[in-house]
Amino acid sequence: MRIKSFIITSLILFILGVLGVSLNRTNLILLLMSVELMLLAASFLFIIASSFFDILFGQIFTIIVLTVAAAESAIGLAIIVTYFRIRGKISIKLLNTLKG
Amino acid sequence: MYLLIIILPLISSLIILVSGRNIGVKGANYFSVICMITASIISCLLYYETAFLKSTIIFSLFNWLSLNIFEESINFYVDSISGGMILIVNVVSSLVHLYSTGYMKGDPHSPRFMGYLSLFTFFMLVLVSSQNYLQLFIGWEGVGLCSYLLINYWFGRLQANKAAIKAMLVNRVGDAALIASIVLIWFNYGTINFYLIFPINASLSHTLIPILLLIGAIGKSAQIGLHTWLPDAMEGPTPVSALIHAATMVTAGVYLIIRSSPIFEMSNIALIATGLVGAITALFAATVGLAQNDIKKIIAYSTCSQLGFMVLACGISYYSVGLFHLINHAFFKALLFLGAGSVIHALTDEQDIRKMGSSILSLPLSYTFILIGSLALAGTPFLTGYYSKDLLLELTTKEYYLIIVCWLGLTATFLTAFYSFKLITRTFLLYQNYYKNTWISAHEGELNIIIPLILLSLGSVFFGFFSKGAILDPLIHPNITSFIKLTPLILSALGTVFGLLIFLLSSKTWSLFFKNLPLRIYDFLVTAWGFDKVIGTFLVDPVWAFGHNVTVKLFDAGIIETIGPFGLSNKIIAISQSMSRLQSGYLFNYALIIILFISVSVLMT
Repeated sequence: MRIKSFIITSLILFILGVLGVSLNRTNLILLLMSVELMLLAASFLFIIASSFFDILFGQIFTIIVLTVAAAESAIGLAIIVTYFRIRGKISIKLLNTLKG
Repeated sequence: MYLLIIILPLISSLIILVSGRNIGVKGANYFSVICMITASIISCLLYYETAFLKSTIIFSLFNWLSLNIFEESINFYVDSISGGMILIVNVVSSLVHLYSTGYMKGDPHSPRFMGYLSLFTFFMLVLVSSQNYLQLFIGWEGVGLCSYLLINYWFGRLQANKAAIKAMLVNRVGDAALIASIVLIWFNYGTINFYLIFPINASLSHTLIPILLLIGAIGKSAQIGLHTWLPDAMEGPTPVSALIHAATMVTAGVYLIIRSSPIFEMSNIALIATGLVGAITALFAATVGLAQNDIKKIIAYSTCSQLGFMVLACGISYYSVGLFHLINHAFFKALLFLGAGSVIHALTDEQDIRKMGSSILSLPLSYTFILIGSLALAGTPFLTGYYSKDLLLELTTKEYYLIIVCWLGLTATFLTAFYSFKLITRTFLLYQNYYKNTWISAHEGELNIIIPLILLSLGSVFFGFFSKGAILDPLIHPNITSFIKLTPLILSALGTVFGLLIFLLSSKTWSLFFKNLPLRIYDFLVTAWGFDKVIGTFLVDPVWAFGHNVTVKLFDAGIIETIGPFGLSNKIIAISQSMSRLQSGYLFNYALIIILFISVSVLMT
């Protein structure tokens, strides 16, 4: 298989993540999952590039991104839990008290 | 010493206006009267030196403007023309000061009054003692300002306020023309000094300049068209009327024409216009004076009429006769006004001649003074008015290109005698027509009211004879038949007889007046030919409406506000509100906007 199909796959994954962030109007957890998906797509691109150019840095970055993603999802989940404790719901539609 | 003439009124006015409350009414009266009498005695010497000895006095005080070749200084410059003016201004003003101490007794703001009177005198002296048009203009505006302050002296009265504003604004029309003519003079001749202007016929606007000067004089001297302020200026106290209408303010316009005689001589059109304006004013004011019933308004219209005679004299190029009549007129007109003031004072401020009558019994002195004034005004032989007015009318008879002026002048002189004696009959001679209380308590004024009147009546009797040689020296008297020479006199006598008889033929003549046509004529005359009405309807109201509807509502509050301050700020507020509405608070909207702009910026690179 050629590299093009891998890149297209990761891009599609990324765009799916973006669409998940922007079109999702119900659930905060879905949002977090979409962000995870975007991060995964990015790491996937790093790995592809690393193996294609035969440079190790891409894989190192992938590891770092994974740790960052883990930390981020942990903090994000913590925020969601706190938020749930206050509001009792985690619908995004209810998150509009701060308007311009 | 001569500088004291101009400085004393200034000192008097400054001290009284600044510290009037400290020196009090009595102090202000004494101080200003002493200052003015000193100044007028010195100005008698000055008159002797300038008019009789034909010398010229120059004090160059300080340099005011020096721009390259244009250099003007503030001067005290007196030749035979200004000498006469300074004499009448100071003499009449000092007598009016003295008179006011009696007439304004008991008035709470008397020091202010004396201060304004002195200030008025000072500005008039600045006007007549100038050597250039710019200093003349200072005085010109100064007397306008002081006339405002003095007419508005009883500022609590609405009519006085309105009359003062009217005087100021109507004068302003003439002032604008004067400014324009000064600018044109400077543009054409390169100087505004009286004695450096050599008019050349090739000059660009040799007709326009005198016409504009004439308009300036029309405004100040209350000639027809801009005369409407003068009868209304009667709202001020009577000494003010005497000062404004006898010696100072209204004479400034004629003085301007006399001063600018070289410029006027260059343009035939301007001379003919001047003569016509003067003659029409003389006739107009005389006819209107016939129908007035306010004692002060009658005298005001007679002032207007006499000023018409002076302008007429300038129009037929006899400037010295105009000046002579100006000086003589100051004496008998001040006498008439102050005499009328004495009558008004005696009859508890009654000004309507229909409510007087038989005052000769209680006020014999006032009667004598007003009689002398009226006789002088009517041009009785050997009184002052005869030497200037009859001469003036004789001179018009030989100006064949402008003979209409002669006819108008002769008619006016008939009417002058007519209304003067109508006033005398109605006020002094006929049946008594006011309350018994007033009639019993009517009495002559005190000494400080009588003395100015005595001095002025001496002036009215003798001044013309004494000074006719000095002022009219180079004049060649016209060679005319004795009938023409006697015509003005006959007409005056006829007018006098009519004036004395008009109310004696009473019941029959009066019933005539209630017929339709005479009533209409009377209406026409009583409203001063409807000038106020016409100007109000066709000039003032449209301008007023234009100012309100177009200038204010359409432009200032309409177009300019819409595109200017309000329009701009409203637009900005609307835009910023719609911008801030983008921040809806929904997370997915923010995400969409972020993604949108990131993708745009990615695509741009």
